[in-house]
Amino acid sequence: MLLKQVFALSRAATPQESHLCAAGGALVSCHRQYRSRPTHGIGKYKHLLPKEVPKRKKDKVQMKEINAGTEHEYGDVNIQMTSYDMCLVEHFAQYVHKLCNQLSVRVSESYAMPTKTNEVLFLEERGSKMQLDAVLTTHQRVIQVSRLSSTFAPILLEIIQSNQPEGVHLLVKEHTEADFKSRLKARPELEELLAQMS
Amino acid sequence: MVKAQPKKKKKVDVRREQAQKDRMKKKIKKLEKAAPELIPIEDFETPLKFSDNSRVRSLPPLSFEETERRVLLMKKWSAYKQSQDRAEKQAIRSLVEAQQEALKELRLESEELYQAAIRRDEGLFPFERDGPNYTPPLPGYDPPEGKCIDITKVYTQ
Repeated sequence: MLLKQVFALSRAATPQESHLCAAGGALVSCHRQYRSRPTHGIGKYKHLLPKEVPKRKKDKVQMKEINAGTEHEYGDVNIQMTSYDMCLVEHFAQYVHKLCNQLSVRVSESYAMPTKTNEVLFLEERGSKMQLDAVLTTHQRVIQVSRLSSTFAPILLEIIQSNQPEGVHLLVKEHTEADFKSRLKARPELEELLAQMS
Repeated sequence: MVKAQPKKKKKVDVRREQAQKDRMKKKIKKLEKAAPELIPIEDFETPLKFSDNSRVRSLPPLSFEETERRVLLMKKWSAYKQSQDRAEKQAIRSLVEAQQEALKELRLESEELYQAAIRRDEGLFPFERDGPNYTPPLPGYDPPEGKCIDITKVYTQ
């Protein structure tokens, strides 16, 4: 009987103990603190870990401050790659990103612009009706690079140019607020009200 | 009696205008509270017709020689690409070194020119370049008349 009781107790103790070890905090349920004993607070470790900032559910889409750049450094520069072929443009963007990483050029952002769809119609030879030729999708990827040094920028441009694939249009320009705004959804009601106000 | 009426009209109008303005301001505040959203990118959404799992491709098993050939080919290709990448990195390094040496010599020549060379080039950006083409455009080609319509979906918040 005694043995059975002891076994039962030990079995009951171990899962509880594992729960307690997993909790890690000081005040664990159903265990009181022996504050007068020297072993008070034994097993506490959470106060030694760095403080975790509680993660917000939705990160508000805010514009990052545009870096103007000093005399010897360029601020935020956008490398925009446009093409009809999505795979090609994706692979080229990945290549440019890896290249910047290898050359220790800081890549602040790497995103895709929304896809544009165009319907191409052409006039038939005999007849006045417009016939649908194709539906073309234009894809654009942007890599934002910051703190590019003035001596290294032309070299980087040269490398990117030499590796440019067919049909991919390259555009390198400085980042502006308008570029950021073009990524956001249009708000016609707000604009209407603002126009009415002023 | 005649004097009282125009005064009432003015007050009522002012009050009405004020009320209207306040309502508009409230509406604007409410709309501005909602954070602006990014346009969803169609590239990253797989179309529904590809989510059907019933179509499965069954390939025949490859012979031993075939697999060997493929593996050896991959090894050769990766070695070739690696040498290409190494050559490219060497080219970059030599470019940078040559540039640094030139700047050093320029500094020895004249400090003013060196400072002007170090400064950033305003005419560099914006820089545009079209990719190379498989075939150049045909000379004297007369394209049929037509037009392009933009049918991109407009997202509103």
